Amino acid sequence: MSTAVIETDRLSKRYGSSRGISDVTLRVRRGEVFGFLGPNGAGKTTMIRTLLDLLHPTSGSARVLGLDSRRDSRAIRARSGNLPGDFAYDERLTGRELLAFFAAVRGRRDLGVAQALAERFEADLSRPLHELSRGNRQKVGLIQALFHEPELVILDEPTSGLDPLMQEEFLRVAAEQREAGRTVFLSSHDLDEVQRVCDRVGIVREGRLIAVEEVAAMRERALRHVTVRFADPVSDGVLADVPSVEHRELDGRTLRFRVRGEIDGVVKALARHRVEDVEITRPTLDELFLAYYGRPS
Amino acid sequence: MSTTATRRPARGAIVGSPSSSTALGAIVRRGLRDQRRAALAWGGGFGAFGALMVAIWPSLEGSMSELVDSYPDGLKEAFGIVRLDTVERFVDAELLSLILPMALAFLAVRCVVQATVGAEDRGHLDTLLSLPVSRRVVMIASVVVTGALLAAILAVVWALTWLAGTVAGTGISASTLASGLGNVWPLAMVFAGLAALVAGLAHRPSTATCVASGTLVAMYAIDLVGKLADAAEPLRWISAFRYYGSAIQQGFDVGHVAVLTVAALVLTIAGAALFERRDVL
Ligand SMILES: Nc1ncnc2c1ncn2[C@@H]1O[C@H](COP(=O)(O)OP(=O)(O)OP(=O)(O)O)[C@@H](O)[C@H]1O
Ligand SMILES: [Mg+2]
Repeated sequence: MSTAVIETDRLSKRYGSSRGISDVTLRVRRGEVFGFLGPNGAGKTTMIRTLLDLLHPTSGSARVLGLDSRRDSRAIRARSGNLPGDFAYDERLTGRELLAFFAAVRGRRDLGVAQALAERFEADLSRPLHELSRGNRQKVGLIQALFHEPELVILDEPTSGLDPLMQEEFLRVAAEQREAGRTVFLSSHDLDEVQRVCDRVGIVREGRLIAVEEVAAMRERALRHVTVRFADPVSDGVLADVPSVEHRELDGRTLRFRVRGEIDGVVKALARHRVEDVEITRPTLDELFLAYYGRPS
Repeated sequence: MSTTATRRPARGAIVGSPSSSTALGAIVRRGLRDQRRAALAWGGGFGAFGALMVAIWPSLEGSMSELVDSYPDGLKEAFGIVRLDTVERFVDAELLSLILPMALAFLAVRCVVQATVGAEDRGHLDTLLSLPVSRRVVMIASVVVTGALLAAILAVVWALTWLAGTVAGTGISASTLASGLGNVWPLAMVFAGLAALVAGLAHRPSTATCVASGTLVAMYAIDLVGKLADAAEPLRWISAFRYYGSAIQQGFDVGHVAVLTVAALVLTIAGAALFERRDVL
């Protein structure tokens, strides 16, 4: 059996004249956590909805779990779990009623690991959805995608609405899926989040998959913005000899620059000066694309 | 709710998808539970109206025939008023000639549209279609639930009207009343089928509702005009109301019921097929 859990071949979806995704060719391996990273409107949701046959491809094809995404969609959905980007269901139902209904449609008599997940996410399954906050509703959405322990979980921006603590918990749950040999495909526009949980990342921009990277390799090339305020005046050439430093701008005693890749050299070089303050920030997705792939948006 | 773990197949093993009937059954059961209140509200409302009509019948009984005799013939023909000499015919004229069939047909449209295009519009369909269920099944389930809802409403109307008629001493016939009310069901189901067809094409609930209920009103108007003007008479065959008639006056017309039922089925199947093929936006 092929090890690809998701395999697309020049998959394209247009909405009339407007672009959805174009020529996406992608392989997601069994047992990996794969991140689909892109800014708003890049085509992440379109990709996921096409894989699930909510949208029919304009051209190209997709195989999920070795099955044809169109012909065998029902079988694919029996073996996977999905969290839509905008999770919503009949608001009068409580989380538990919703899960019982979904279990019944799936032909199951039990709620699987729903209770355990509810405890971890601190989700209240006894209240109707309309009484829940957005984040708490999102937790019910996560539970319905995971409770039957599917081979493949497809999650469209799973952490949206979750507080930092719950985001952490989610990242742990995602990692556990991988340990159990299951596959996770998640979309996100948060580079940090994706780097923390994913094995590989597909970067999508304007409907096209522009790169697929191992997260380990991305980390090596990580790009950061650094602002340093020195206590004493410094020479113009400060840090100019550190290879990973670029785009230096000295303004009085404040130095702004970018670090591409390893940061150790920067720390060592800074140690020779008296430093008042250091601020390190991550680039926005657009800057990242520009830096990596040389194309502005 | 059982929390006992059933035996799961080994990890990585290919799990067959549950059958379509499992999904259909679960969705229909859920839908029925959601419609319980609607059945009581609508059935109670029209049942109360029917009960009121039969309760006042004894006081109108004598004067009604004379009143009807004074109506112009064309009007009587158009509205199917032949003679109002029995309590059942009175119920027929008051409730079954226009109000109840129209209301239930509208309700049927609303019910099917809400469960399909409405669910799409609210994003519920994305969630439901994460499950191993085809869109065809979602559509068929919506029509089945609608059929059950209409049947429940008609049963409540029948029970309340019959009870009131019996208490008022009108000697109302349970079976005649049942055939009159039962006759509404296939007519309303045609519009459930029509709603399914439109929902198979339209992406907006308002569009689907407008098209389906617009057709309903148009069909009623065509039938009415056809009855009044001989020139328009041939047009009547395209109107579902042509096959509705009056079961109380003319008896249950099996042929007409069959036409309506087949039309409802064909429309539903076509709607389900279109729904399956189109994108969910
Ligand atoms: N129903 C639609 N009709 C027309 N165009 C659409 C439709 N849905 C999406 N698009 C277009 O397709 C493109 C991709 O949208 P998509 O929703 O897939 O992006 P996304 O990556 O999920 O964005 P976000 O991060 O905002 O969720 C966008 O340019 C959007 O305008
Ligand atoms: Mg999206």
